[in-house]
Amino acid sequence: MVGLSTGEKHFIHGGIAQDLRSDGRKRLHFRPISVETGVIPQANGSARVRLGATDVIVSIKAELGKPNSFQPDKGKVAIFIDCSPTAAPEFEGRGGEELSSELSVALERCFLGGKTGTGAGIDLSSLIVVEGKVCWDLYIDGLVISSDGNLLDALAAAIKVALSNTGIPKVNVDLGASPDDQPEVDVSDEEFLQFDTSGVPVVVTLTKVGRHYIVDATLEEESQMSSAVSVSVNRHGHICGLTKRGGAGLDPSVILDMISVAKHVSQNLISVLDSEIAAAEANADE
Amino acid sequence: MATNPATYSPSQSLERRQQQQRRKIFLQADWTRTDGRSFHQCRPAFMRTGASNAASGSAYAEFGGTKVIVSVFGPRESKKAMMYSDTGRLNCNVSYTTFSTPTRGQGSDHKEYSSMLHKALEGAIILETFPKTTVDVFALVLESGGSDLPVIISCASLALADAGIMMYDLVSSVSVSCFGNNLVIDPTAEEEACQDGSLMIACMPARYEVTQLTLTGEWSTAKINEAMELCLDACLKLANIMRSCLKEIAS
Repeated sequence: MVGLSTGEKHFIHGGIAQDLRSDGRKRLHFRPISVETGVIPQANGSARVRLGATDVIVSIKAELGKPNSFQPDKGKVAIFIDCSPTAAPEFEGRGGEELSSELSVALERCFLGGKTGTGAGIDLSSLIVVEGKVCWDLYIDGLVISSDGNLLDALAAAIKVALSNTGIPKVNVDLGASPDDQPEVDVSDEEFLQFDTSGVPVVVTLTKVGRHYIVDATLEEESQMSSAVSVSVNRHGHICGLTKRGGAGLDPSVILDMISVAKHVSQNLISVLDSEIAAAEANADE
Repeated sequence: MATNPATYSPSQSLERRQQQQRRKIFLQADWTRTDGRSFHQCRPAFMRTGASNAASGSAYAEFGGTKVIVSVFGPRESKKAMMYSDTGRLNCNVSYTTFSTPTRGQGSDHKEYSSMLHKALEGAIILETFPKTTVDVFALVLESGGSDLPVIISCASLALADAGIMMYDLVSSVSVSCFGNNLVIDPTAEEEACQDGSLMIACMPARYEVTQLTLTGEWSTAKINEAMELCLDACLKLANIMRSCLKEIAS
């Protein structure tokens, strides 16, 4: 991973303790975030998010499928993350698999809510076409192009942006004569329905280095972490998912403290993302 | 198999404080749990060490319908392909039997459990005590009856202790499910299937440190607070049961 000398490690630790990090940021400052939408024309929605040197692309494809028999009134969403070996040599072959699955599980936890769908960022019932028969399957594929720490936050932001860029084709349904018939579906290639993204959360990862915690850690800072807590927060300030990474134990009061800091930071992040999305959409229209 | 099961539930004061709240909720949503427990009562915990002879240490845990065996092998020499390391390595694997779930072979849905078990345990083990070597933790879920991962984590830490691996503390783990305003501790599989949200904590009670924490669904901060308090208290009680189980073997 990152080869750091003892001096460099001290420098990182000391900087974080003094609230002035190696790149001049304060502990709770994000790197500049840049957003592009519609980067993949073949997908229903896509986005590229750059957070410092971290670079990710998310594409969203919608396909018609059959709803699960246990939940006939809900569509399906699947999140896959791919760590490409172009980002780091460690991701070659099966090396990226562990990180990929860790990221996809964490993102699914953040976006899909509980079993009954409460707190889900993506409203699964909006994906239904004919109850029990036809629904939209949403495939969210993330690709890590370049990794400089804080992949989870970047991917979550990219998913949020990509969802706001997603158009689901309008469908006309012919139910057929008898209720047993498979309904005929006519997919329009001109009319698209916009996706409601008001409930989609953002993820804020707080990385604990020494006695302090920082947001948006770079790869070097991440190599010095003892543990990290990723909190996903929606617009209303409710927590919709939480994952702890890193092995070291944390005092419960520290975790609660981290949650309240994450809540505060996330509201800034949401407004930054909103204005970036608006700017990116305006760019795309030109 | 459980002849004289020891039960554990959060402390009386907490129970009493929430009793009043709960009564109000009961008026709105009156339901009882299928196994007759109260919302804040855990299933009887049965734990024994020495389930497998070939392993350095092993444990069997039975929490209601959830039955788990964990074997620990090592510390043994790391694979040749591994780079030199001056701390030990921990390798965790969780598998389900094909007959563990109502529908055959459903257990493969839980691929992330291995890495979650690893994260829950790695903070508790003193890896510096066995450089260049690997400890393997293999968990097998015989029957999945809800709260599988917390049971796996608790059982694995008991097996590690049985194998004589140096640890800072035992790791015990408990989860709660959220139904509307109700918090239900140690949910069964049926309850987990229709929960609004869940929170799982793995902690080292003596050090009062959380090693693993996951949360799904929508939560307010106050609710997280309440759920964490409930879990930590239950973890403490569970750790006492685990400790007495180890003492029994030693005496």
